[in-house]
This record gives sequence, C-alpha cells and structure tokens, in this order.
Amino acid sequence: MIEVKNLTFSYRKDKQALHGLNFTVEDGEIFGFLGPNGSGKSTTQKILTGILKEYDGIVSLFGKDLRRAHTQDFFQKIGVLFEFPYLYANLSALDNLHYFSSFYPKERLRDAEELLDELEFKRDFLRKPVSSYSKGMRQRVSMARALISNPKLLFLDEPTSGLDPTGAVLFRRIIENERRKGTTVFVTTHNMLDADLLCDRVAFISNGNIVALDTPKNLKEQNSNRSIVVDYLYQGRRKEQTIQAPELKSGIHFPYDELISIHSQEPTLEDIFIQYAGRRLS
Amino acid sequence: MKSIYPLFKKDCRIMVSGKFFLAAFASLLLYTLFINFSYLNFMDANANIYNVYLYDPEGTYPRVSPLIHSADSAEELNEALVRDTSGGVGIYIKDGKPSVVLYAGTEKVDRHRADYALSLLYSGNGYTPETVGDNTPEMKQRREITCELLFIEIVAVGFLGIASVLFKEKQMGVIRVHAVMPFSKSLFVFSKVFLFLLTDLVFAAFMTLLNVGPAEAGRILPAVLIQTGVLSLIMALTGFCCTMLLKDFRQFSLAYLVIALFTATPVFLSANTAIKMDWILYHPFYHVYMGLKNAFFGMPVTTPAYYICAACVIILLFGTAIMAFRKEMGREG
Repeated sequence: MIEVKNLTFSYRKDKQALHGLNFTVEDGEIFGFLGPNGSGKSTTQKILTGILKEYDGIVSLFGKDLRRAHTQDFFQKIGVLFEFPYLYANLSALDNLHYFSSFYPKERLRDAEELLDELEFKRDFLRKPVSSYSKGMRQRVSMARALISNPKLLFLDEPTSGLDPTGAVLFRRIIENERRKGTTVFVTTHNMLDADLLCDRVAFISNGNIVALDTPKNLKEQNSNRSIVVDYLYQGRRKEQTIQAPELKSGIHFPYDELISIHSQEPTLEDIFIQYAGRRLS
Repeated sequence: MKSIYPLFKKDCRIMVSGKFFLAAFASLLLYTLFINFSYLNFMDANANIYNVYLYDPEGTYPRVSPLIHSADSAEELNEALVRDTSGGVGIYIKDGKPSVVLYAGTEKVDRHRADYALSLLYSGNGYTPETVGDNTPEMKQRREITCELLFIEIVAVGFLGIASVLFKEKQMGVIRVHAVMPFSKSLFVFSKVFLFLLTDLVFAAFMTLLNVGPAEAGRILPAVLIQTGVLSLIMALTGFCCTMLLKDFRQFSLAYLVIALFTATPVFLSANTAIKMDWILYHPFYHVYMGLKNAFFGMPVTTPAYYICAACVIILLFGTAIMAFRKEMGREG
C-alpha cells in the first residue's frame, strides 16, 4: 500500500526534517509511526497525504508514484484525521460532515448520523454549532469526517488525543473495525499505549531517522532481559525473587509456601524507544 | 467543477454568520443617507462659490462683472488667493491677455472654474462659456461622491471583508483539511473571490441606483459594474494573498494601513484636489479610480491597454493566491 525509499525533506536549507526514511506498509496493516514532538512524524504524514510536495526520494501509494498519483482519485481513496480537530466552529457536526462529504462521489459515502452514533456522539449536539462542543466531541466529529468517504487508506495523527479513557477505547475499537474491513491504517502518535494495542508494526522515528521498525511484540522480545519477578510467601513472610525465564522450565528452585504473583519484566515501547533514541516519547 | 457549489454555499454561510452582508447593507444605507441628506445640502449651501480676483495693471478690461474683486498688484492677487479657502480663481492680465490661476505657482486650473472666471471677465461682451457635459451641479456632485464612496468601500472594506473570513478559517485550521479534499485547490480561491465580486457588484448597483438615480444609472451602470469588477477582483485577490502570507491579524492590520492609506490617499488627493503628483500616472490604483470615475460620468475607458493590464494583474494575483494557499496548507504545526 505504501512504499517509501530514501525519503528526505527540508523546510529550509538549514533545517532538514527527514533524513532518508525507508519503510513499507502492507494492505490492511495498522502501521504505527512513533516519535516525540518535532521528530518528523507529521512531516512524513503530510508528504504521504500529498500536502508537502518538495521532497526527495520515492514515495508510492496504491502502487503508484505519489507525484503522479496526486489526483482527485487519490484524495477520494484516503481519509485523514489531523492532530487537532479542525472543523468549522460556526457549523454543526452534521453541517460539517455534509460539507466535507460533498466533495466525494455519493456512492462512496457513509451516513453521517449513523457514523456519529457509532462514535457515540451525543445526539443532542448534532445540530448545535461546533463551538459549543468539548474537545472529545470535536475529535469524534473529526474522526467521522475522516471515515465518511470509506477510505482505503486512513491516516490518523494522534487519534486518541483529547479523549477520556472510554473514548480512547472506543476509538481503538473503531480503528480495529476499519482494519477488519480491509482499510490500511497509518497511525502517527507518541502515545505508546495506542501503538502497543493497535499496531501490527511500529517504526520509531527520532530526529528524522527511523531508529527501529518491527512488531511491538518483537521489539519487546528483542529488548527484554527475559527476567521474571516472583512474589511469594515463605514461613509467613512475603518475599520477591528475580529469575531468568528459561529457569522456569525446570520449575521454581527456591523454597516457598505460596506463590502470590509472577511478573514478566517485559519493557514497554517507551522503554525501548528511549533505548534506541536516547530520549523519551513525550 | 461541481465542488464549487458546496464551497460557495459554505463561504456564504461564513459571511452570513460573520454579519458581513448586514455590514454591507448598513454601509449602503449610511452612504445613501450621507449623500442625500448631508453631502448635497452642504455642497448646495456652498454653491455660490469661486470668488474671482482680477489684476489688470493696464486696464485692458474696464467693463467686467461686479462679482469680480479687483487687486492692485500681483502680490495682492496672490495673497487673496491664498486667503480664499472656497476655491477662488485669479485672473492676471499680461500684455492684454488673461491668464487664469488658482493660486500662485499652479500651472493648470480646473476647466469649470476657469470658464466661470472668464465668463465674468467678458461679461456683456458676448462670451459664451463652454458647456462641459450635461450634468447639473447636483448630478455632478452625486456622481463624484458616489464614485468616491464606492471606491473606499471596495478598497478598504472589501479588502478587510475577505481577510476576516479567511482569518477565521485559518484560526479554525480548516484550510489544512481542504488540502486532502478531492477537488482542485484553485476552486477554493475562485469561490471566495467570486462571492466578493458578486457582493461588490450588487453593492455598486444599489449605490448607483440610489444615489445617481434610476434614469442615469441605467445608462452608466454597465461601465460602472465593469470598473467595479476590476477593482473588486484586484482587492479580493490582494486580500486573499495577504491573509495567506501574513501570520496573524496584527500583521494584516499593517498591510491594511499601507494599502488603505498609502495607496488610496494619493489617488484621492491627485484626482480630487489641485495637489500635483507627476508620479501618480505610475500608480495602478489611480488608473482604476479614474476608470471608475469616468464610468460614473458616462465616459467609460475604451483603451485596450487598460483592460489588458487589468487582466494580467488579475491573472498574476490569482496565481499568487493559489501559491499562497498551497503554502498555508503545508505550513508547519
């Protein structure tokens, strides 16, 4: 679906934002692009969505060079959720959706009200101006805008930003549903939980370079010291002992009366990012 | 091309919610009331204008109109002209020939005032003043002031109008969303400019009808609308470019000051007063203003070069506006 080779981009001569990125995204994959603010994630997304054009390298989407694929047909096939909920504040949710959907062929469109219901948008606000909405409600309308044309490729920039935990769970479920329908999803985020729970593969970007790219599971395995912490009771006292995972094969060697818990010491994606990039995600 | 309808509809809604049409209607009402109940009355009260001063050292013209004030020396004539604030005219007889001056140092004079002064000089000697146009003084004033107010409205208010709409969209961030919408980006510019053009044309039509009168308006309206269209397109596109290229409304206010004051003021001064500015001929707005004024006086510009230049400027501004729009869509942050 997406193929990027030696992608470089500079906003100014002295400000190179991307330094030769290479990656591919398969059809129907949820691909995460993780990095802190200013690392080049949004720039990459802007290039992939055809907003920034003066890049070097090869970018192919839908099997076509982006420079040639940059047509109305291309924009009909993509959906984009921006980092901030950009909407007309004087129009209602429905008016916004009707306006933005009017640029797509009718046969591609989903029903705006049904979509908002799916996103658990409060019906009382359907016809009220966006200026009266909370950030979470605006994010729901923005997501509906990105989904309304049934895109084959979905770009999501910080999709759960501004949402409460319930909203974040809902959004992750909706993104999963989109993938089940065959949509390819490119997620740009610095939220490691989203990346961990959603993405088939993640790329870590730091200072315009991809420093690691793999499935979250592989990254964790590769960077794990494979230790396990065992909590147990022995002779009435609570104790803790760290052992290596292979040791468990032959059972627990130390004396205990009761096991309380066994924790694998797997690193989080944030830990791994720090390991690769030398800085935190947020 | 079918994308133009939703864009146009949305722009109309933003303008309605921003009370732009209401403001335009209020301006129309205010201008009309000003012209009909204030300006014309004021001008009528000052109708007995043009004191005429004569310095005739050799007594070449002994029988002049009693309305002429005699001066005993060239210095006295100049002093009288300097003191006169209501547009006095001087006649200096040298070698038996009259030379008309508005005040010392002025090389050219208003034909209307010169003709009036000479008619007083040749009083009773069968001098027939030249007929310049068929306007009554009131109609002349109506045309002049309507033209000036229309010019101000389009240059200043129209320019601000497009900026207010665009800055709203910039602040809401929706311009970036249009970057990923499947339509030609030039339509975004076209829709806005077309809407402002339409508004300005309707405004110009009503201004002309209400202040020049339906009978005369019918005759001059096509030419007035063409000149309004030229000015409106230039201003709307300039406003669009400024809004896209400038960061915030504060920077825009400075640009507005430059355009509204430093661009329009010399044009007004040059076209309506005796202030002499040779360089004004190189000022593009002077030609557009004069085009509008000539249209109001039923003498539309027919020079092809004027229309070719106007078309080139509009095309150039349209191209710049599209480039600025694309730049704004890809802006960082």
